[in-house]
Amino acid sequence: MTKILFKKQMMELFSFFWQDKKKNKNRTGINLILSVVMYLALFAVIAVMFYIVAQMLCEPLLEAGMGWLYFALMGLIGIALGAFGSVFNTYASLYTPKDNAFLLAMPIPASKILTVRLSGVYVMGLMYELLVMIPALIKYFMSAQPGVSAVAGSIWVTFVISVFVLTLSAVLGWGVALISAKTKRKSLVTVVLSLVFIAGYYYLYGKAAGLIQDIAANPQVTGEFIRGRFAPLYHMGQAAQGNLISILIFTAAVFALFGIVYLILAKSYLKIVTTNKGEAKAKYKESRMAMRSTGRALLGKEFRRFLGSPNYMLNCGLGIVLMVIAAVALVIKADMVTEMVNIIFEGQKDLLFLMAAAGVCVIAAMNDITAPSVSLEGKNLWLVQSFPVSGREVLMAKLKLHLILTMIPAALMTLSVELVMKPSAVFAILIPVAGAVFIFFMALFGLFMGLKMPNLAWTSEIVPIKQSMGVMITLFGGWALIVGLAGLYYLLRNILSPMWYLIFAIVLVFACSIALFGWIRTKGAQIFERL
Amino acid sequence: MLRIEHLTKIYGDKKAVDDLSLHIHPGEIYGFIGHNGAGKTTTIKAACGILQYDSGDIYVDGVSIRENPLACKAKIAYIPDNPDLYEFMTGIQFLNFVADIFSVSVQDRQSRIRKYADAFELTSDLAQPVSAYSHGMKQKLAIISALIHDPKLIIMDEPFVGLDPKASHLLKEMMREMCDRGGAIFFSTHVLEVAEKLCDKVAIIRAGKLIKSGTMEEVKGDTSLEHVFLELEDDHDKNTI
Repeated sequence: MTKILFKKQMMELFSFFWQDKKKNKNRTGINLILSVVMYLALFAVIAVMFYIVAQMLCEPLLEAGMGWLYFALMGLIGIALGAFGSVFNTYASLYTPKDNAFLLAMPIPASKILTVRLSGVYVMGLMYELLVMIPALIKYFMSAQPGVSAVAGSIWVTFVISVFVLTLSAVLGWGVALISAKTKRKSLVTVVLSLVFIAGYYYLYGKAAGLIQDIAANPQVTGEFIRGRFAPLYHMGQAAQGNLISILIFTAAVFALFGIVYLILAKSYLKIVTTNKGEAKAKYKESRMAMRSTGRALLGKEFRRFLGSPNYMLNCGLGIVLMVIAAVALVIKADMVTEMVNIIFEGQKDLLFLMAAAGVCVIAAMNDITAPSVSLEGKNLWLVQSFPVSGREVLMAKLKLHLILTMIPAALMTLSVELVMKPSAVFAILIPVAGAVFIFFMALFGLFMGLKMPNLAWTSEIVPIKQSMGVMITLFGGWALIVGLAGLYYLLRNILSPMWYLIFAIVLVFACSIALFGWIRTKGAQIFERL
Repeated sequence: MLRIEHLTKIYGDKKAVDDLSLHIHPGEIYGFIGHNGAGKTTTIKAACGILQYDSGDIYVDGVSIRENPLACKAKIAYIPDNPDLYEFMTGIQFLNFVADIFSVSVQDRQSRIRKYADAFELTSDLAQPVSAYSHGMKQKLAIISALIHDPKLIIMDEPFVGLDPKASHLLKEMMREMCDRGGAIFFSTHVLEVAEKLCDKVAIIRAGKLIKSGTMEEVKGDTSLEHVFLELEDDHDKNTI
């Protein structure tokens, strides 16, 4: 029975290889091969990234006689990637699997179900961990040419780390389950947590190179610090180098920890998955209602759609946050920025203002709210189609949402640019106009792509939001347009001054926008009505 | 109220609806029955203006749905067989949204929401997100949203699926009440006993073609609607062989 359940778990885990979630069917033949090759290539690229990290650390640490620190650091990265990479999968597969009722209704002991579910979490964590540890081991074997005990120790540690990753994932998954059960405004909390995670990721990413260089330059300082404060990490590193006592200590500690977590989970698992505490039901209290126009009602619906989906907010509205951050950062770092641009653009102030306009557009182009909005109607499309509203009215509501959510932070960013860079009167007008025209164009272009490449048959909203060709073309198309316009300026730089070129670009983009606007209000509306 | 004239809808090389004509008068409850894939949903969607058709025409209160779809839709309420509603709204937000779309006055919407939500025992759940609703609750919400603008014509696809017995009974009463006030109802169903008891007229469709229609007495005669339906199916099968 365990074997059958394990097979089921693995099929579920690796279904991304052979299942096309967009088309809801299995890949076969060349499509299957391409899918496997694509994923393997992706894994290889990530592994190469970690090989570079290993390369930066390995030799300096080996030369300093601190091979243990190399394994402590690479192991730590492996743990972080393994645990954080699989935490949401852990939550889903341990606490909210779709086949829970199905399996629990069968004569299968709950402990066996838990073990099989944990095996899935283990394999997932192992996969992430190996992306770090395989390159780390390869680099170590090549540089240190270790003896049998160190080879066996490092491979054993890699395995023990995977057990620790499983333990940590199970605890973190439980934490996610707890937060999820207690949180009322799940969308907002998810967005905030994701933004914090993204900010943390980029902060660490920005600091990583310097940190690695510091460690490689002063391994003794870092070594002493870890040895004194984080003994398990020290033993992990020593164990990987074949130190028998450390192997015993590290293995015993990890397995003991896993044993405790497993016992707690095994004892409470059945209770957790069969007890539905439910949420406190929001009580309806009748209050005075207000009547809105059709246009406002449709716009309100679009706002609710956007604010009700963390996926939609994070993937298509990230520009809003970035524009606000850019505006604030520019004011805070005003002195530094002014000094820098004065040096770089000395005697070419107009070029600076031209680039400032382009900068506003680059960040604004990160918002592609309209692009998936048509597909997001999905199975709800019958509603707007059966209402006495035209396709044009529905599309205009989608357009307004994009404009409101992008224009306001863009205005803030433009204000900040003007405060710090103090452009001439003409540029003070042209920069916001350029931003507004570009945002208008992007909103229309996204809508155009959404109408040309609709996908209404999705089962997960992530498909139209993240995995649709229309969204991709809109996102990259916006940046490609800016690059294209920059290239055109380079060609015309001797004919047109930055000011005249910006006027030319505004007129060009505006003319395209008007054409698109006309198309959407006529042909586009007809397409929407017939979807 | 609803006049379907020589409606034909073709999917690829298959005629889903073939030269179908029906006339639903004010005050009538008109049942539409047929086997799975007979063309009921296609006809219903075309009548609501959410599906383009190849030939023929459909008139709502004398207005062509092809020529003036918005005017027709303003008089219609449509309830599909599987009401996928906006899950990002709460029940009350959804009802208010529909009321806004149909320009229902504050006073009217407030009294109608109170009346129908109380009747369907949904009032206490109106603050809940639609995503938390069961199938039956969504069906009830769809029915309330259909009634909120006091439509002249209600078109329903399998309206009783998922409803509890009490809600089913209530819906039947509301259907009759609405038709007594001069409205009209056109609905599809597989529950022949319900159709027999509830409908003034009935139409039977097979492979896209209308095979029998008329008042309930004309169609079923002295036997039951189930008997007539099965007999017609049998005849069709024999003719096909």
